[in-house]
Amino acid sequence: MSTAAKAIRFAWTSRRAWWFTATARTRDRFARTTLGSFWLGLSNLLSIGVLAAVYGTVFKVKDFNTYVVYLGTGLVIWNTIAAAVQSGPTLFRSNAGNLKNTNIHPIFYTLEEWSFQTQTFLQSFGLVLLFLMIFQPSLPLHLLGAGLLPIVNLLLFIYWFPLLLCLLGAHFEDLFQLVPIVLQLMFLLSPILYKKEALGALGWTADFNPLFRVLSNLRHALIEGQIKLGEALLLLLLNIIGIWLSVWLLERQRRHLPFLV
Amino acid sequence: MPQAESSPVLELRDVWLRIPVNTREVRTLKKTLIRSVTGGALRKTSSGTEIDALRGITCKIHHGERVALIGHNGAGKSTFLRLISGIYLATSGFFRAACPVFPMIQKSFITSAELSGLQAVKGHYLLIHGHLRGFSDYVQEIVEFSELGDYIHLPMKGYSEGMSARLLFALLTSGNHDCLAMDEGFGTGDARFFERAKKRLEEFIQSAGTLILASHSDELLRQFCRRGLVFSQGQIIYDGPLKESLSYYHEHCC
Repeated sequence: MSTAAKAIRFAWTSRRAWWFTATARTRDRFARTTLGSFWLGLSNLLSIGVLAAVYGTVFKVKDFNTYVVYLGTGLVIWNTIAAAVQSGPTLFRSNAGNLKNTNIHPIFYTLEEWSFQTQTFLQSFGLVLLFLMIFQPSLPLHLLGAGLLPIVNLLLFIYWFPLLLCLLGAHFEDLFQLVPIVLQLMFLLSPILYKKEALGALGWTADFNPLFRVLSNLRHALIEGQIKLGEALLLLLLNIIGIWLSVWLLERQRRHLPFLV
Repeated sequence: MPQAESSPVLELRDVWLRIPVNTREVRTLKKTLIRSVTGGALRKTSSGTEIDALRGITCKIHHGERVALIGHNGAGKSTFLRLISGIYLATSGFFRAACPVFPMIQKSFITSAELSGLQAVKGHYLLIHGHLRGFSDYVQEIVEFSELGDYIHLPMKGYSEGMSARLLFALLTSGNHDCLAMDEGFGTGDARFFERAKKRLEEFIQSAGTLILASHSDELLRQFCRRGLVFSQGQIIYDGPLKESLSYYHEHCC
């Protein structure tokens, strides 16, 4: 386990470098656009607007305001999880040149990707939250009062879960093809566009869906202003175990990585 | 001689490096063809095919030594450089590096080509120093030497090969290192720049505490090295003074 501690130590000492390269990527992504990183939130808002209008009609929702907030918060969190998970399987392949020719610890690239996803989330989440305040003005208060631990859980989760996929993806290239399909199915199976009760007898699938559990814990805190503390603490514990396990596995797989990418 | 100076900077005892062959293409190739490409020996294991890229390497390199790695393509020189600099980890045997070994085999930047040269320089600086104190002087020196001028602010994907090579060269030769693992294939850009680069490279190499240089150029090796390790099929087959090592190589391997 001391090897995992070494990797974490390197992660800490190089923190400014990976945060900087991720920030540069974020800026560069929208460098030629007029609205800049505003697009991050805007693309989410467009999805929320269209999906809320369509599914609000399909599901014949009675309280449209509540539904928009439910769908909007769920969608922005899901998009973050999905983007992080989707980047996982190809992360090492896209850094193949540096893995083969520099002695920078591979944890650097995983943290750079995590920073990029975190920055994307914070920007889009901020704008979506501002928009959703039109329908539920108490959202920022709920966020500060009950949402911080669930947000921490989300950010921890989008580090270690994609890292596990990174390691698997380096061994099994088919994962790159499989992940988008599974994500699509999980999105449809998860109560994001609809309430959990609509799943009926299949409701248990949401309980065993780790991506949804992370999402629902944060969404509940934002909408209700109350934290499901037991669940949040359990998620925190699982995240800590997940981080330690994934970094330990990274360290174990490190010797093989230059030959796998 | 004080103890600190006599203890080796690098110590290897019976070090093996086995590289797994994972690609589908390689599995269909004849063993002889692969052997000619890699210089190592193929072996079948329960987990698949592996190449013995380094075989039973034993040597000590002391502080201040200038060591030449001599051998054909695929003999194991670059693999040895990658091993001592920590890019590859030994499969078995004992390896110890008393100080960080800087690999001078990098051919790309740590940042994406979509980003500007300035951002690449900043990322590199932060990785080395962990802060931005002294960065403005540093970047000025890099821009002047690489002759990039205002191009430093443009995305690197628009750079010519020469511009990228000049910037990378300027970055990697911008500091001092206790131990330098260097491959001659390291580019310097166009011919005009080469002369300036040569002078800087000489100063850079002279400033390194310990040098391990892989090259096919006897002239280059004679200029910088005093000791030679001759590699063949992943093994060190001769270890001695440079003159004798080169003679051994030309007599037995050419």
